[in-house]
Amino acid sequence: MNTNKNSYTVIYTIVLVAIVATILALVSMGLKQKQQTNIEVEKQLSILSSANLAQDVKSAKDKNSYVQGEFAKYITEALVVNAKGEVVESCTEDITKSGAFKISIAEEYAKMRDIDAAKDEAAKESLINELRLPVFVCNMPDGGMRFILSAYGAGLWGPIWAYVAVKKEGTELSGAIFDHSSETPGLGGEIVTDKFRNQFVDKVIFDNGEICEIKVVKGGAKDPAHEVDALSGATITSTSVQKMLTQWFNYYKPYLQLIVDGSGNMPEPGIEVKEFEQDPEVIEL
Amino acid sequence: MESLNLFVKSIFVDNMIFAYFLGMCSFLAVSKNVKTAAGLGVAVIFVLGVTLPINYLLNKYLLSPGSLSWISPDLANVDLSFLSFIIFIAVIASFVQLVEMVVEKFSPSLYSSLGIFLPLIAVNCAILGASLFMQQKAFATLGLATCYGLGSGVGWFLAIVSIAAIREKITYSNIPKPLQGLGITFIIAGLMAIAFMGFMGINF
Amino acid sequence: MDKKIFTTPILKQNPITVLVLGICSALAVTVKLEPAIVMAISVTLVTGLSSFLISLIRKTIPNRIRIIVQLVVVAMFVILIEQILKAYVYDVSKQLSVYVGLIITNCIIMGRIEAFGLTEKPLPSLVDGLANGLGYGLILIVVAFFRELIGSGTLFGAQIIPQSWYAANGGAYLNNGLFIMPPMALILIGCLIWIQRSIQKEDK
Repeated sequence: MNTNKNSYTVIYTIVLVAIVATILALVSMGLKQKQQTNIEVEKQLSILSSANLAQDVKSAKDKNSYVQGEFAKYITEALVVNAKGEVVESCTEDITKSGAFKISIAEEYAKMRDIDAAKDEAAKESLINELRLPVFVCNMPDGGMRFILSAYGAGLWGPIWAYVAVKKEGTELSGAIFDHSSETPGLGGEIVTDKFRNQFVDKVIFDNGEICEIKVVKGGAKDPAHEVDALSGATITSTSVQKMLTQWFNYYKPYLQLIVDGSGNMPEPGIEVKEFEQDPEVIEL
Repeated sequence: MESLNLFVKSIFVDNMIFAYFLGMCSFLAVSKNVKTAAGLGVAVIFVLGVTLPINYLLNKYLLSPGSLSWISPDLANVDLSFLSFIIFIAVIASFVQLVEMVVEKFSPSLYSSLGIFLPLIAVNCAILGASLFMQQKAFATLGLATCYGLGSGVGWFLAIVSIAAIREKITYSNIPKPLQGLGITFIIAGLMAIAFMGFMGINF
Repeated sequence: MDKKIFTTPILKQNPITVLVLGICSALAVTVKLEPAIVMAISVTLVTGLSSFLISLIRKTIPNRIRIIVQLVVVAMFVILIEQILKAYVYDVSKQLSVYVGLIITNCIIMGRIEAFGLTEKPLPSLVDGLANGLGYGLILIVVAFFRELIGSGTLFGAQIIPQSWYAANGGAYLNNGLFIMPPMALILIGCLIWIQRSIQKEDK
């Protein structure tokens, strides 16, 4: 057979591409559901771990169903709040399908960068109004309550993000969890370790209507309420953590005030929740 | 400012060779003398500078989830991202082929100096790597993506030319026999990478 | 079948230390053992399967588009592996990130297809591909072993160096952070090549 003819080459290419594309499309469609679940479960696990729940995940036989079960058990409400502290959406069932769970914190972070770059106050104002921040309300096994907030920022090489659990009083953290996409393993990558994240327990973040910055300091933290040890050899990642938390807490500030006032998870029944029912498309997003 | 920052960063901090080890094969194989190294380096800059914007547009308007909605809103749920490897590599391979043919036809002198390196570039990890990093970093504009491509290319050029210069000098050194050639080249590259680590954290 | 097809690529003709192929994506995944092993398995599968498939259809491939056909076949296997990793070992696939995609441009694969798969029968090609993948994986695992042990004091994430040795707990030991950084991978491979060449010289 003459394999050098033009027509043969063209037909060969078409057939090859068709076969390859079919195989790939089939496999991709077949595995899509599983991949999506993995991504969801990872997020659920981060949210739970920030409140020190789902500790047995390593020994769990079926990681996915264990995490999904724990999530459904303890995370009882998901809220979307704006930068004024108003609850835009609230959801108490099927939280993985809620608007709060589907918010991409990366996109919200992009909005925050636009806000910082905005030239005039009016533009800034309207951008700030567009911010949507997720809050997860967690009912602890011991009867306590946690408000889980998120944060996202730039590390040394790529993005870093966090979930932090705020105690019921709204002023102190009860825990935090960090993750990253491409920090140096063993240096900046250490932000995922328990050693680093456990330092955030009992840190004061909100006092007298003002956000208190959690300072990441080199060579031994002295103030147990406001300082944590930086990671050795990873100055930039450490300061990025500090910057990220402060930035997000400042947008959460009005909402934190609500928590302090004791109405964090109870938006005035009526307006907001109704709005959410009238506008089902918002949930579908 | 952001694009300048990205450009400088991708040359020094996110250097394709010293930070990500991409394009190592040709980096080690074609770095025996400065002249050929520079030739390959220029070819890499050129191919990166062109394929990255192409792949950026493909990614934005074809591959990433929901990107087909510019054709019709019905297609908003189509996710073709599983095809990105194959599309990127096809763009790179066919572009390299195209350039090779064009250069051969219109500038035989350039072809004789550059042409032999072109086929090598299709399988240079730095080119595909840059496209994949571009997808991962999700640049906001075409300009940024182009800057990243050019910066990565210049970084690669810098790396290969400087190691070639060192290797030219090192032929006069007395190196243990089993370490000669490949072994010492790896170690030099390692030491150069340590030097490049000094740029970490640069910002404008 | 000739046993040598299987044994030579693993040590004597090791793709990394002797033939200098496929270093591109090799080094960045060697910080920890687990991703290194997954990478080794993935590359072995892709080299074996793509050599096998190309060898099966070798008589039908039009010579002019040979390279592109090879790239498409390799890319297909790589995408399959990527999708499977994402579905079944999500944590590891996150750590490997773009490096899975870079298997496509791993020179070992293209090198073996060109040198072996295109001319030999399917079964020997499969064996040759697998063996080369294993030879590559072996180096990856050796490098990762040292980098994880010395750099983080762990193996597979489990603490190996006793906690009481550390300076923080009153001992005198510190993890060597340099082993985690990219340059050390290059220097380690340089040393491996040195050792291997010294031993092989004695054999003769």
